[in-house]
Amino acid sequence: MTNISMIRPLGWTLRPMAVRVWTDWVDHDRSARVWGAIRAVADGASPTLAHAVSACAQALSAAGAGLAMTRDGGMLEPVLATSPEIADLDELQFELGDGPSGEAAAMSAPVLEPDLAGVAAGRRWPAFAAAGGARNVRGVFAFPVAAGAARVGVLTVYRREPGPLQREQLEQALVFADALFVLALDNRQGVSADLDEVIEAAFTARRAEVHQAAGRLASQQRISVTDALARLRAYAYSSGLSLYKVAIDVMSDRLHLDGDQPRGGGPPAKPQLTDPETAEKEEEED
Amino acid sequence: MSASDRRVREVFIELSDTLVDDFDVIEFLDRLAARCSELLGVSACGILLADHHGALNLVAASTEQARLVELNQLQNLEGPCFDAFSTGRPVQHPDLRSARGHWPRFTAAAVSSGYLSVQALPMRLRDTVLGAVNLFSKTTGELDADTITLGQALADAATIGIVHQRALARQEIVTEQLQTALNSRILIEQAKGFLSHSLDIGVDEAFALMRSYARANNRRLTDVADEVVQARLTLTPSPSLE
Repeated sequence: MTNISMIRPLGWTLRPMAVRVWTDWVDHDRSARVWGAIRAVADGASPTLAHAVSACAQALSAAGAGLAMTRDGGMLEPVLATSPEIADLDELQFELGDGPSGEAAAMSAPVLEPDLAGVAAGRRWPAFAAAGGARNVRGVFAFPVAAGAARVGVLTVYRREPGPLQREQLEQALVFADALFVLALDNRQGVSADLDEVIEAAFTARRAEVHQAAGRLASQQRISVTDALARLRAYAYSSGLSLYKVAIDVMSDRLHLDGDQPRGGGPPAKPQLTDPETAEKEEEED
Repeated sequence: MSASDRRVREVFIELSDTLVDDFDVIEFLDRLAARCSELLGVSACGILLADHHGALNLVAASTEQARLVELNQLQNLEGPCFDAFSTGRPVQHPDLRSARGHWPRFTAAAVSSGYLSVQALPMRLRDTVLGAVNLFSKTTGELDADTITLGQALADAATIGIVHQRALARQEIVTEQLQTALNSRILIEQAKGFLSHSLDIGVDEAFALMRSYARANNRRLTDVADEVVQARLTLTPSPSLE
């Protein structure tokens, strides 16, 4: 017997188009496509931040893209760009102290400027709008590379022609920013994940417990949330457990990650399972 | 309908008063979730937003009870919210005990938590669905048409809160606001975890503590969470917590 008839959608009238738009929007393969694009640029090598930035610029038909990263003092600093011209634009934003990238970092939200030559952009970023225009760039789109308080940097995409990003491009850019976040965290720990692991992690990383565990570890070890999240991921890889499972164990105090872990290189910390038996019983199925 | 017209008016005035410049979206949605439970006469309410991976994320709930958080998360696979989001239509099930064939995992988890009926209302903005409002009841039965209409008005209020009074705004602005809401929630989860260790309290209590502090000091909940997680603000557990 099927129970489907029990589910009663109420009588909303909805234009058929709405449903179609939604179908396009919910795209569980988007992550896989973005990682596939990064893989293609990497061409057999282990994917790096530079590969991801290039792949993003290509996917968005952009003149180029740049990545600025947060230094320990919280200051943003341009670290890589797809061309010298783009590097120059990225530098310029930070020299002038105005432009979408710094604002995206400060607001912890994307800042999307479809036309630097427009009146609104001129008012919002007087110095940078003029400089960008002089360099033949019209659209500037900045995306935080971050998750909550774990703020790693900003991805900025530059386009020659004015106009907004299409929705699919916008959604993809957000996934590229997530990919950069993951790559940057893993760089900190000197680990490099398999594509499948990264996609799995990207999905489970949204679960509340993963962020709770990062906060808990940050308090336990007096480290930043960024470092805490990087350690959780590194431990998940080295132990073969899912990030979610590691998070649950940290939250329930079954797992303590050693604080003396070397940064940037070196093997992940030796974990101390306080109660390995309980820990093993609750294997998460998804 | 379970609420008086007077109380409904009061709630809409309260909600619109919250929509001042620089309001905190999570604080707004948290308040809205609590009022949904109250006005619609349901046991619990969760507000879920879709992210750029197409996954539903819980951003606010009438109770931060871990079990409810999990129930909402489960709906990335199946459940009324998933259905409401994917069809853009309200979905209700008056007796979950007979829904096992349709949503096996969700139903098992909901029934074992004591919830016997569910409703999900889509959060629509023009031609897209941003997320859904999920209502859980400990009793069986359908909500009547008036209650559903009121519920949809509250779901629309949530949408308006997220797009920040710029309902006619461009797609970019909607994306900016959605990302702000999703990211604020991550920040709050990080801060809950931080406090669970530094104060040795449960994550539910950690949330209540931050919320009380934010309200008492007229601070944005997200800013409080940010300072907590960066060890720039030390909270002390208060015995007078709700």
